[in-house]
Amino acid sequence: MTKILRFDEVELGDDLPAETPDVSMERVTNFCRSAKHVFERFIDHEAAKKEGFPAAIVPGIMSQGLLAAMIHRWAPNSSIQTIDTVFRGSLLVDSNITMTGAVTDIDEADMTVELDLAITAEDGRTGVIGTAKLQFSA
Amino acid sequence: MLLDLHTHSVKSDDGRAKVENYCKWIRKKALPLDGFVLTEHRQFDSESDYRDLEDQYGLVILKASEVESDFGHVLVFGVNEDLEAAIDFTDVRLPIGDVLEASNKAGAFAAPCHPGRKRVGLFSHYEQRGEVDGVHTVEVLNGGSIPGEDELSVQMASKYNYKGFGGSDSHVVSRIGLCATNFPDQKINDIGDLVSALEGGNFEAISLREPSSN
Repeated sequence: MTKILRFDEVELGDDLPAETPDVSMERVTNFCRSAKHVFERFIDHEAAKKEGFPAAIVPGIMSQGLLAAMIHRWAPNSSIQTIDTVFRGSLLVDSNITMTGAVTDIDEADMTVELDLAITAEDGRTGVIGTAKLQFSA
Repeated sequence: MLLDLHTHSVKSDDGRAKVENYCKWIRKKALPLDGFVLTEHRQFDSESDYRDLEDQYGLVILKASEVESDFGHVLVFGVNEDLEAAIDFTDVRLPIGDVLEASNKAGAFAAPCHPGRKRVGLFSHYEQRGEVDGVHTVEVLNGGSIPGEDELSVQMASKYNYKGFGGSDSHVVSRIGLCATNFPDQKINDIGDLVSALEGGNFEAISLREPSSN
């Protein structure tokens, strides 16, 4: 049985387990169709290049969804109050990207936790940074 | 003293770090920093007062600016009313000569940051447009650099005989202290001390990144 992270087990400075999500063309295309967010720059490398991108790019809403999923895998017993992302650079479809997170503040009274979030592109550049605030239940 | 000379807080449009959380992080992670400098984008934050946090956490917290020029981004330490009157901090295409000259006149210290980065770095403009007069110091280690960028910064700084310093360029809490600047045998308590120390030239860029990361 999977162990559920409790609020009293969370410490400032804890790292969330890093993840390397699947952002293959097939997966991104499926996401775009499901979200009714179909644009050629997300699902067609050549079309994206014509728009000035090096290749098709991962949609921002998908990046945010992947980060939210990472948070819930780490702390299933929490709800995300806010998630705030800054898109600093493109994340390319069919590339290797890495998601990370860290606990940056804890409010014992409110049972809330603040996280840093980041997605790093294959070349090492930070594509997405962000923060999230989680509410734990007793 | 070891200071991170390049950080951003929530005062910057793309910053997501609360200043107190920086302090908590530094202490929790036992980072060797003695303090940090908030270099907010295209502005000088004259309002925020971090003296209580300095006392509470035993850290030096100073304020500066990161402005944008036609030769890339430039950190300015020692911003004062004269400098704020001389240049428009919100202008994203400030002539770099104006930034350097106005800073000099106002007693501030201006130095290009992440100079090895494409488009927003000083050296990416040198090939096409030549060297800028008045540059003497650049940020050779930047916590946001990808492989190759800092190497280029170090190499070019050496070529042009520029002094080099380091900063994390952190926009979120957990990135603070990835790079910093060591001022051996010097005590820096305020921005005047920092400007004097930078002018003195006795400092070195330090990387605190884990060996496996960039």
